Amino acid sequence: MSYLYEEGTAAERLAFEAHLRQCERCAAEAASLRAVRVDMAAWTPPETVLDFRIVREPAQATSRWGWMSTMPAWAQLAAASLVIGVAAGLSGLDVQYGSDGLIVRTGWSRPAGARPAGDAPAAAAAGADHPWRAEMAALREQLLGEINQAASAPQAVRVSAGAADGGEASVDDEFLARVKQLIEASEARTQREMALRLTEMVRDMDTQRRADMRRVADGLGVLEGRTGAVTAQQREVMNYLMRVSQRQQ
Amino acid sequence: MRGGHAGPLVRQETHGDRVDMTVTDEELVARSIAGDTDSFNQLILRWEGPMYALAYRQLGREDDARDVVQDAFLRAFRALPGFKGEAKFSSWLYRITLNLCRDVMRRAKRAPFVQTPEGVDIADLVPSDAPAAESMEDVVARKDLSRHVARAMSLLPEEQRSAIILKEYHGLTFQEIAELQGCPLSTVKTRLYQGLTVVRRELDRQGRGPAGAESRTP
Repeated sequence: MSYLYEEGTAAERLAFEAHLRQCERCAAEAASLRAVRVDMAAWTPPETVLDFRIVREPAQATSRWGWMSTMPAWAQLAAASLVIGVAAGLSGLDVQYGSDGLIVRTGWSRPAGARPAGDAPAAAAAGADHPWRAEMAALREQLLGEINQAASAPQAVRVSAGAADGGEASVDDEFLARVKQLIEASEARTQREMALRLTEMVRDMDTQRRADMRRVADGLGVLEGRTGAVTAQQREVMNYLMRVSQRQQ
Repeated sequence: MRGGHAGPLVRQETHGDRVDMTVTDEELVARSIAGDTDSFNQLILRWEGPMYALAYRQLGREDDARDVVQDAFLRAFRALPGFKGEAKFSSWLYRITLNLCRDVMRRAKRAPFVQTPEGVDIADLVPSDAPAAESMEDVVARKDLSRHVARAMSLLPEEQRSAIILKEYHGLTFQEIAELQGCPLSTVKTRLYQGLTVVRRELDRQGRGPAGAESRTP
Protein backbone atom coordinates (compact mmCIF):
# COMPACT_ATOMS: atom_id res chain seq x y z
CA MET A 1 0.00 0.00 0.00
CA SER A 2 2.85 2.37 0.81
CA TYR A 3 4.27 1.77 -2.65
CA LEU A 4 0.89 2.17 -4.32
CA TYR A 5 0.25 5.50 -2.60
CA GLU A 6 3.89 6.60 -2.64
CA GLU A 7 4.13 7.08 1.10
CA GLY A 8 7.20 5.05 1.88
CA THR A 9 10.76 6.27 1.97
CA ALA A 10 12.89 6.32 -1.15
CA ALA A 11 14.85 3.32 0.09
CA GLU A 12 11.69 1.30 0.64
CA ARG A 13 10.44 2.23 -2.78
CA LEU A 14 13.64 1.18 -4.49
CA ALA A 15 13.65 -2.11 -2.62
CA PHE A 16 10.05 -2.83 -3.59
CA GLU A 17 10.68 -1.95 -7.23
CA ALA A 18 13.57 -4.38 -7.25
CA HIS A 19 11.22 -7.03 -5.92
CA LEU A 20 8.63 -6.25 -8.59
CA ARG A 21 11.22 -6.80 -11.31
CA GLN A 22 11.73 -10.32 -10.06
CA CYS A 23 8.17 -11.23 -9.06
CA GLU A 24 5.64 -11.25 -11.87
CA ARG A 25 2.72 -11.90 -9.57
CA CYS A 26 3.40 -8.87 -7.37
CA ALA A 27 4.08 -6.73 -10.43
CA ALA A 28 0.74 -7.71 -11.95
CA GLU A 29 -1.05 -7.04 -8.67
CA ALA A 30 0.52 -3.60 -8.32
CA ALA A 31 -0.36 -2.68 -11.90
CA SER A 32 -3.90 -3.89 -11.42
CA LEU A 33 -4.44 -1.87 -8.26
CA ARG A 34 -2.94 1.19 -9.95
CA ALA A 35 -5.46 0.75 -12.75
CA VAL A 36 -8.29 0.59 -10.20
CA ARG A 37 -7.09 3.87 -8.76
CA VAL A 38 -7.21 5.44 -12.21
CA ASP A 39 -10.76 4.20 -12.68
CA MET A 40 -11.79 5.51 -9.29
CA ALA A 41 -10.80 9.03 -10.29
CA ALA A 42 -13.88 9.05 -12.53
CA TRP A 43 -16.18 9.05 -9.50
CA THR A 44 -17.06 12.69 -8.86
CA PRO A 45 -19.85 14.12 -6.71
CA PRO A 46 -22.56 16.06 -8.54
CA GLU A 47 -22.04 19.78 -8.97
CA THR A 48 -23.70 21.83 -6.30
CA VAL A 49 -23.68 25.32 -4.87
CA LEU A 50 -23.17 25.28 -1.13
CA ASP A 51 -22.12 28.71 0.15
CA PHE A 52 -22.92 28.01 3.77
CA ARG A 53 -22.57 30.92 6.19
CA ILE A 54 -22.83 31.46 9.88
CA VAL A 55 -25.47 34.18 9.86
CA ARG A 56 -26.19 34.70 13.53
CA GLU A 57 -23.88 35.53 16.38
CA PRO A 58 -23.91 33.19 19.35
CA ALA A 59 -25.73 34.43 22.43
CA GLN A 60 -23.24 36.58 24.36
CA ALA A 61 -24.70 36.06 27.79
CA THR A 62 -27.26 33.68 29.11
CA SER A 63 -30.01 35.54 30.86
CA ARG A 64 -31.81 34.32 33.94
CA TRP A 65 -34.74 33.48 31.70
CA GLY A 66 -32.66 32.14 28.84
CA TRP A 67 -33.82 28.58 29.32
CA MET A 68 -37.39 29.71 28.70
CA SER A 69 -36.56 30.76 25.16
CA THR A 70 -36.63 27.12 24.08
CA MET A 71 -40.20 26.72 25.32
CA PRO A 72 -43.22 27.50 23.18
CA ALA A 73 -45.42 30.41 24.25
CA TRP A 74 -48.23 28.24 25.53
CA ALA A 75 -45.83 26.32 27.72
CA GLN A 76 -44.43 29.56 29.13
CA LEU A 77 -47.95 30.71 29.97
CA ALA A 78 -48.75 27.41 31.63
CA ALA A 79 -45.51 27.51 33.61
CA ALA A 80 -46.20 31.05 34.79
CA SER A 81 -49.73 30.11 35.92
CA LEU A 82 -48.42 27.08 37.72
CA VAL A 83 -45.76 29.07 39.55
CA ILE A 84 -48.30 31.66 40.70
CA GLY A 85 -50.75 28.98 41.79
CA VAL A 86 -48.16 26.96 43.68
CA ALA A 87 -46.77 30.11 45.31
CA ALA A 88 -50.25 31.07 46.49
CA GLY A 89 -50.83 27.56 47.78
CA LEU A 90 -47.52 27.36 49.60
CA SER A 91 -48.01 30.72 51.24
CA GLY A 92 -51.42 29.60 52.46
CA LEU A 93 -53.00 32.73 51.04
CA ASP A 94 -56.72 32.66 51.81
CA VAL A 95 -58.91 35.62 50.93
CA GLN A 96 -62.55 35.64 52.15
CA TYR A 97 -65.21 38.29 52.17
CA GLY A 98 -68.25 37.71 54.33
CA SER A 99 -70.24 39.13 57.17
CA ASP A 100 -67.04 39.60 59.14
CA GLY A 101 -65.61 41.80 56.42
CA LEU A 102 -62.54 41.10 54.28
CA ILE A 103 -60.31 38.42 55.78
CA VAL A 104 -56.88 37.63 54.46
CA ARG A 105 -55.14 34.63 55.97
CA THR A 106 -51.53 33.60 55.47
CA GLY A 107 -49.70 30.63 56.95
CA TRP A 108 -51.28 27.40 57.92
CA SER A 109 -53.87 28.61 60.38
CA ARG A 110 -56.32 25.76 60.05
CA PRO A 111 -56.02 22.05 59.57
CA ALA A 112 -57.50 20.64 56.39
CA GLY A 113 -60.55 19.24 58.11
CA ALA A 114 -61.39 22.39 60.07
CA ARG A 115 -63.02 24.31 57.27
CA PRO A 116 -66.45 25.77 57.91
CA ALA A 117 -69.27 23.61 56.69
CA GLY A 118 -70.34 26.32 54.25
CA ASP A 119 -67.09 26.04 52.29
CA ALA A 120 -67.78 22.58 50.95
CA PRO A 121 -70.86 23.34 48.84
CA ALA A 122 -69.24 26.48 47.52
CA ALA A 123 -66.14 24.54 46.57
CA ALA A 124 -68.25 21.82 45.03
CA ALA A 125 -70.17 24.36 42.99
CA ALA A 126 -66.95 26.01 41.89
CA GLY A 127 -65.51 22.60 41.08
CA ALA A 128 -68.46 21.80 38.89
CA ASP A 129 -67.91 24.96 36.88
CA HIS A 130 -64.14 24.73 36.72
CA PRO A 131 -62.64 21.29 37.35
CA TRP A 132 -59.14 22.70 37.66
CA ARG A 133 -60.23 24.78 40.63
CA ALA A 134 -61.31 21.70 42.50
CA GLU A 135 -58.00 20.05 41.66
CA MET A 136 -56.04 23.08 42.76
CA ALA A 137 -58.08 23.21 45.99
CA ALA A 138 -57.43 19.52 46.60
CA LEU A 139 -53.73 20.01 45.97
CA ARG A 140 -53.63 22.95 48.31
CA GLU A 141 -55.46 21.07 51.01
CA GLN A 142 -53.00 18.22 50.66
CA LEU A 143 -50.04 20.54 50.92
CA LEU A 144 -51.62 22.29 53.88
CA GLY A 145 -52.11 18.99 55.63
CA GLU A 146 -48.52 17.96 55.14
CA ILE A 147 -46.93 21.25 56.02
CA ASN A 148 -49.27 22.16 58.85
CA GLN A 149 -47.53 19.87 61.28
CA ALA A 150 -44.23 21.65 60.96
CA ALA A 151 -45.63 25.14 60.52
CA SER A 152 -45.05 27.93 62.96
CA ALA A 153 -47.77 29.62 64.92
CA PRO A 154 -50.71 30.63 62.73
CA GLN A 155 -51.06 34.18 61.54
CA ALA A 156 -54.46 35.65 60.96
CA VAL A 157 -54.81 39.08 59.58
CA ARG A 158 -58.22 40.52 59.90
CA VAL A 159 -59.10 43.65 58.05
CA SER A 160 -62.59 44.57 59.12
CA ALA A 161 -64.70 47.40 60.35
CA GLY A 162 -64.78 45.82 63.82
CA ALA A 163 -61.04 45.51 64.33
CA ALA A 164 -60.39 45.78 68.01
CA ASP A 165 -56.73 46.66 68.25
CA GLY A 166 -55.62 49.71 66.25
CA GLY A 167 -51.86 48.92 66.43
CA GLU A 168 -52.42 45.35 65.28
CA ALA A 169 -54.59 46.60 62.40
CA SER A 170 -51.79 48.93 61.32
CA VAL A 171 -49.30 46.06 61.18
CA ASP A 172 -51.83 44.02 59.24
CA ASP A 173 -52.29 46.84 56.73
CA GLU A 174 -48.58 47.08 56.15
CA PHE A 175 -48.33 43.35 55.66
CA LEU A 176 -51.25 43.32 53.23
CA ALA A 177 -49.79 46.19 51.27
CA ARG A 178 -46.46 44.39 51.11
CA VAL A 179 -48.11 41.21 49.80
CA LYS A 180 -50.00 43.19 47.16
CA GLN A 181 -46.82 44.93 46.15
CA LEU A 182 -44.98 41.64 45.76
CA ILE A 183 -47.80 40.12 43.71
CA GLU A 184 -48.00 43.16 41.45
CA ALA A 185 -44.26 43.19 40.94
CA SER A 186 -44.32 39.51 40.09
CA GLU A 187 -47.15 39.99 37.61
CA ALA A 188 -45.40 42.94 35.96
CA ARG A 189 -42.18 40.93 35.66
CA THR A 190 -44.01 38.00 34.14
CA GLN A 191 -45.77 40.23 31.64
CA ARG A 192 -42.50 41.84 30.62
CA GLU A 193 -40.86 38.47 30.08
CA MET A 194 -43.83 37.20 28.10
CA ALA A 195 -43.84 40.29 25.88
CA LEU A 196 -40.12 39.91 25.30
CA ARG A 197 -40.45 36.24 24.38
CA LEU A 198 -43.34 36.93 22.03
CA THR A 199 -41.41 39.71 20.32
CA GLU A 200 -38.40 37.45 19.84
CA MET A 201 -40.56 34.67 18.52
CA VAL A 202 -42.24 36.93 15.99
CA ARG A 203 -38.88 38.28 14.90
CA ASP A 204 -37.43 34.78 14.43
CA MET A 205 -40.41 33.67 12.39
CA ASP A 206 -40.15 36.75 10.21
CA THR A 207 -36.43 36.22 9.62
CA GLN A 208 -37.00 32.57 8.74
CA ARG A 209 -39.85 33.46 6.39
CA ARG A 210 -37.70 35.96 4.55
CA ALA A 211 -34.86 33.46 4.23
CA ASP A 212 -37.23 30.80 2.91
CA MET A 213 -38.69 33.21 0.39
CA ARG A 214 -35.24 34.14 -0.81
CA ARG A 215 -34.29 30.47 -1.13
CA VAL A 216 -37.41 29.79 -3.14
CA ALA A 217 -36.65 32.74 -5.38
CA ASP A 218 -33.06 31.54 -5.87
CA GLY A 219 -34.30 28.06 -6.69
CA LEU A 220 -36.68 29.39 -9.29
CA GLY A 221 -33.88 31.43 -10.81
CA VAL A 222 -31.64 28.36 -11.04
CA LEU A 223 -34.45 26.37 -12.64
CA GLU A 224 -35.01 29.06 -15.21
CA GLY A 225 -31.32 29.09 -16.00
CA ARG A 226 -31.20 25.34 -16.34
CA THR A 227 -34.06 25.18 -18.77
CA GLY A 228 -31.93 26.80 -21.45
CA ALA A 229 -28.96 24.62 -20.57
CA VAL A 230 -31.03 21.45 -20.78
CA THR A 231 -32.30 22.46 -24.21
CA ALA A 232 -28.75 22.96 -25.42
CA GLN A 233 -27.71 19.63 -23.95
CA GLN A 234 -30.58 17.84 -25.63
CA ARG A 235 -29.66 19.40 -28.93
CA GLU A 236 -26.10 18.22 -28.48
CA VAL A 237 -27.28 14.74 -27.58
CA MET A 238 -29.48 14.60 -30.67
CA ASN A 239 -26.53 15.63 -32.81
CA TYR A 240 -24.47 12.93 -31.18
CA LEU A 241 -27.10 10.29 -31.81
CA MET A 242 -27.40 11.43 -35.41
CA ARG A 243 -23.65 11.14 -35.87
CA VAL A 244 -23.61 7.67 -34.35
CA SER A 245 -26.51 6.46 -36.49
CA GLN A 246 -24.94 7.89 -39.65
CA ARG A 247 -21.69 6.17 -38.78
CA GLN A 248 -23.46 2.85 -38.36
CA GLN A 249 -25.19 3.27 -41.72
CA MET B 1 -31.59 22.72 11.32
CA ARG B 2 -33.68 25.63 10.48
CA GLY B 3 -35.75 28.15 12.28
CA GLY B 4 -35.75 27.60 15.99
CA HIS B 5 -32.09 28.05 16.82
CA ALA B 6 -31.31 30.35 19.67
CA GLY B 7 -27.63 30.24 18.81
CA PRO B 8 -25.73 30.38 15.54
CA LEU B 9 -27.37 29.36 12.33
CA VAL B 10 -25.68 27.93 9.26
CA ARG B 11 -27.55 29.07 6.22
CA GLN B 12 -26.99 28.77 2.51
CA GLU B 13 -26.52 32.11 0.91
CA THR B 14 -25.23 33.25 -2.40
CA HIS B 15 -22.22 35.44 -1.92
CA GLY B 16 -19.54 36.68 -4.19
CA ASP B 17 -16.87 35.75 -1.67
CA ARG B 18 -13.80 33.92 -2.81
CA VAL B 19 -11.49 31.80 -0.76
CA ASP B 20 -8.67 33.87 0.68
CA MET B 21 -5.69 31.53 0.85
CA THR B 22 -3.26 34.08 2.26
CA VAL B 23 -4.29 33.22 5.79
CA THR B 24 -3.73 29.80 7.30
CA ASP B 25 -6.44 27.67 8.82
CA GLU B 26 -4.83 28.05 12.22
CA GLU B 27 -4.97 31.84 12.03
CA LEU B 28 -8.60 31.77 10.97
CA VAL B 29 -9.42 29.36 13.77
CA ALA B 30 -7.75 31.66 16.32
CA ARG B 31 -9.71 34.64 15.03
CA SER B 32 -12.94 32.64 15.06
CA ILE B 33 -12.38 31.63 18.66
CA ALA B 34 -11.88 35.30 19.46
CA GLY B 35 -15.36 35.96 18.11
CA ASP B 36 -14.73 36.84 14.46
CA THR B 37 -17.55 35.11 12.62
CA ASP B 38 -16.23 36.24 9.22
CA SER B 39 -13.07 34.22 9.79
CA PHE B 40 -15.14 31.13 10.44
CA ASN B 41 -17.06 31.83 7.25
CA GLN B 42 -13.70 31.88 5.44
CA LEU B 43 -13.01 28.42 6.84
CA ILE B 44 -16.42 27.30 5.62
CA LEU B 45 -15.61 28.60 2.14
CA ARG B 46 -12.38 26.61 2.14
CA TRP B 47 -13.75 23.35 3.40
CA GLU B 48 -17.39 23.06 2.37
CA GLY B 49 -16.46 21.51 -0.99
CA PRO B 50 -14.21 18.74 0.37
CA MET B 51 -16.64 18.04 3.18
CA TYR B 52 -19.54 17.82 0.76
CA ALA B 53 -17.56 15.45 -1.45
CA LEU B 54 -16.68 13.30 1.56
CA ALA B 55 -20.28 13.19 2.79
CA TYR B 56 -21.64 12.51 -0.68
CA ARG B 57 -19.27 9.62 -1.31
CA GLN B 58 -20.07 8.21 2.11
CA LEU B 59 -23.84 8.55 1.84
CA GLY B 60 -24.55 8.60 -1.89
CA ARG B 61 -27.29 11.22 -1.61
CA GLU B 62 -26.99 14.91 -2.34
CA ASP B 63 -29.60 16.01 0.19
CA ASP B 64 -28.14 13.95 2.99
CA ALA B 65 -24.63 15.17 2.16
CA ARG B 66 -25.77 18.79 2.18
CA ASP B 67 -27.51 18.35 5.54
CA VAL B 68 -24.48 16.66 7.02
CA VAL B 69 -22.17 19.48 5.89
CA GLN B 70 -24.50 22.09 7.34
CA ASP B 71 -24.76 20.23 10.62
CA ALA B 72 -21.01 19.65 10.73
CA PHE B 73 -20.22 23.35 10.40
CA LEU B 74 -22.79 24.20 13.03
CA ARG B 75 -21.25 21.72 15.44
CA ALA B 76 -17.76 22.86 14.63
CA PHE B 77 -18.71 26.48 15.26
CA ARG B 78 -20.24 25.65 18.60
CA ALA B 79 -17.35 23.41 19.64
CA LEU B 80 -14.65 25.76 18.37
CA PRO B 81 -13.69 27.11 21.82
CA GLY B 82 -12.83 23.52 22.77
CA PHE B 83 -10.65 22.95 19.71
CA LYS B 84 -7.10 22.75 21.04
CA GLY B 85 -5.29 22.49 17.75
CA GLU B 86 -3.79 19.10 18.55
CA ALA B 87 -4.97 17.87 15.15
CA LYS B 88 -5.29 19.81 11.92
CA PHE B 89 -8.51 21.78 11.62
CA SER B 90 -9.36 19.86 8.46
CA SER B 91 -8.88 16.53 10.26
CA TRP B 92 -11.17 17.75 13.00
CA LEU B 93 -13.80 18.70 10.41
CA TYR B 94 -13.40 15.34 8.68
CA ARG B 95 -13.93 13.58 11.98
CA ILE B 96 -17.14 15.52 12.68
CA THR B 97 -18.38 14.87 9.16
CA LEU B 98 -17.63 11.16 9.31
CA ASN B 99 -19.37 10.84 12.66
CA LEU B 100 -22.45 12.58 11.28
CA CYS B 101 -22.40 10.36 8.20
CA ARG B 102 -22.25 7.36 10.49
CA ASP B 103 -25.25 8.68 12.41
CA VAL B 104 -27.21 9.16 9.20
CA MET B 105 -26.44 5.64 8.02
CA ARG B 106 -27.27 4.21 11.42
CA ARG B 107 -30.58 6.04 11.52
CA ALA B 108 -31.49 4.97 8.04
CA LYS B 109 -30.12 1.46 8.63
CA ARG B 110 -29.25 1.19 5.02
CA ALA B 111 -26.31 0.86 2.72
CA PRO B 112 -25.34 3.99 0.82
CA PHE B 113 -27.77 4.81 -1.90
CA VAL B 114 -26.17 5.12 -5.30
CA GLN B 115 -27.83 7.66 -7.49
CA THR B 116 -28.80 6.99 -11.11
CA PRO B 117 -28.38 3.23 -10.81
CA GLU B 118 -30.40 2.20 -13.81
CA GLY B 119 -32.03 3.74 -16.85
CA VAL B 120 -29.95 6.89 -16.86
CA ASP B 121 -31.18 9.67 -19.09
CA ILE B 122 -28.34 10.35 -21.47
CA ALA B 123 -29.04 14.07 -21.37
CA ASP B 124 -28.29 14.10 -17.65
CA LEU B 125 -24.86 12.67 -18.28
CA VAL B 126 -23.64 15.86 -19.86
CA PRO B 127 -22.65 18.42 -17.25
CA SER B 128 -23.14 22.02 -18.25
CA ASP B 129 -19.52 22.77 -17.36
CA ALA B 130 -18.01 19.79 -19.16
CA PRO B 131 -14.60 20.57 -20.59
CA ALA B 132 -14.84 21.66 -24.19
CA ALA B 133 -12.12 19.20 -25.24
CA GLU B 134 -14.08 16.24 -23.88
CA SER B 135 -16.16 14.58 -26.55
CA MET B 136 -19.65 13.27 -25.98
CA GLU B 137 -18.30 9.73 -26.11
CA ASP B 138 -15.76 10.51 -23.41
CA VAL B 139 -18.39 12.14 -21.23
CA VAL B 140 -20.68 9.14 -21.51
CA ALA B 141 -17.87 6.71 -20.78
CA ARG B 142 -16.64 8.70 -17.81
CA LYS B 143 -20.10 9.02 -16.29
CA ASP B 144 -20.72 5.35 -16.86
CA LEU B 145 -17.49 4.47 -15.10
CA SER B 146 -18.34 6.86 -12.27
CA ARG B 147 -21.63 5.05 -11.77
CA HIS B 148 -19.89 1.68 -11.67
CA VAL B 149 -17.31 2.91 -9.16
CA ALA B 150 -20.06 4.37 -6.96
CA ARG B 151 -21.93 1.10 -7.02
CA ALA B 152 -18.81 -0.90 -6.18
CA MET B 153 -17.94 1.47 -3.33
CA SER B 154 -21.44 1.15 -1.90
CA LEU B 155 -20.77 -2.54 -1.35
CA LEU B 156 -17.86 -1.91 1.01
CA PRO B 157 -18.11 -1.88 4.80
CA GLU B 158 -18.13 1.66 6.16
CA GLU B 159 -14.55 1.52 7.51
CA GLN B 160 -13.10 0.35 4.20
CA ARG B 161 -15.13 2.85 2.23
CA SER B 162 -14.13 5.82 4.39
CA ALA B 163 -10.46 4.74 4.35
CA ILE B 164 -10.46 4.63 0.56
CA ILE B 165 -12.32 7.92 0.24
CA LEU B 166 -9.99 9.73 2.64
CA LYS B 167 -6.91 8.35 0.91
CA GLU B 168 -8.01 8.41 -2.70
CA TYR B 169 -9.99 11.63 -2.88
CA HIS B 170 -8.71 13.69 0.04
CA GLY B 171 -5.06 12.69 0.08
CA LEU B 172 -4.78 12.02 3.79
CA THR B 173 -1.77 10.09 5.02
CA PHE B 174 -2.07 6.61 6.46
CA GLN B 175 -1.33 8.09 9.87
CA GLU B 176 -4.06 10.73 9.58
CA ILE B 177 -6.60 8.10 8.55
CA ALA B 178 -5.52 5.90 11.44
CA GLU B 179 -6.11 8.76 13.86
CA LEU B 180 -9.49 9.55 12.34
CA GLN B 181 -10.60 5.95 12.43
CA GLY B 182 -9.03 5.24 15.80
CA CYS B 183 -7.15 2.18 14.61
CA PRO B 184 -3.52 1.11 14.01
CA LEU B 185 -1.79 2.18 10.83
CA SER B 186 -1.53 -1.41 9.67
CA THR B 187 -5.32 -1.74 9.92
CA VAL B 188 -5.72 1.23 7.61
CA LYS B 189 -3.51 -0.41 5.00
CA THR B 190 -5.43 -3.66 5.32
CA ARG B 191 -8.73 -1.85 4.89
CA LEU B 192 -7.41 -0.06 1.83
CA TYR B 193 -6.17 -3.24 0.23
CA GLN B 194 -9.32 -5.22 0.96
CA GLY B 195 -11.52 -2.37 -0.25
CA LEU B 196 -9.56 -1.87 -3.48
CA THR B 197 -9.70 -5.59 -4.11
CA VAL B 198 -13.50 -5.62 -3.82
CA VAL B 199 -13.81 -2.57 -6.07
CA ARG B 200 -11.55 -4.19 -8.67
CA ARG B 201 -13.59 -7.37 -8.58
CA GLU B 202 -16.86 -5.47 -8.99
CA LEU B 203 -15.53 -3.35 -11.84
CA ASP B 204 -14.32 -6.45 -13.61
CA ARG B 205 -17.63 -8.15 -13.04
CA GLN B 206 -19.46 -5.17 -14.54
CA GLY B 207 -17.18 -5.27 -17.55
CA ARG B 208 -16.25 -1.65 -17.07
CA GLY B 209 -13.69 0.70 -17.66
CA PRO B 210 -11.15 2.09 -20.05
CA ALA B 211 -8.23 2.80 -17.80
CA GLY B 212 -7.04 -0.47 -16.43
CA ALA B 213 -8.59 -2.93 -18.82
CA GLU B 214 -5.37 -3.67 -20.54
CA SER B 215 -3.11 -3.57 -17.53
CA ARG B 216 -5.38 -5.48 -15.17
CA THR B 217 -4.75 -9.17 -14.72
CA PRO B 218 -7.51 -11.47 -15.91
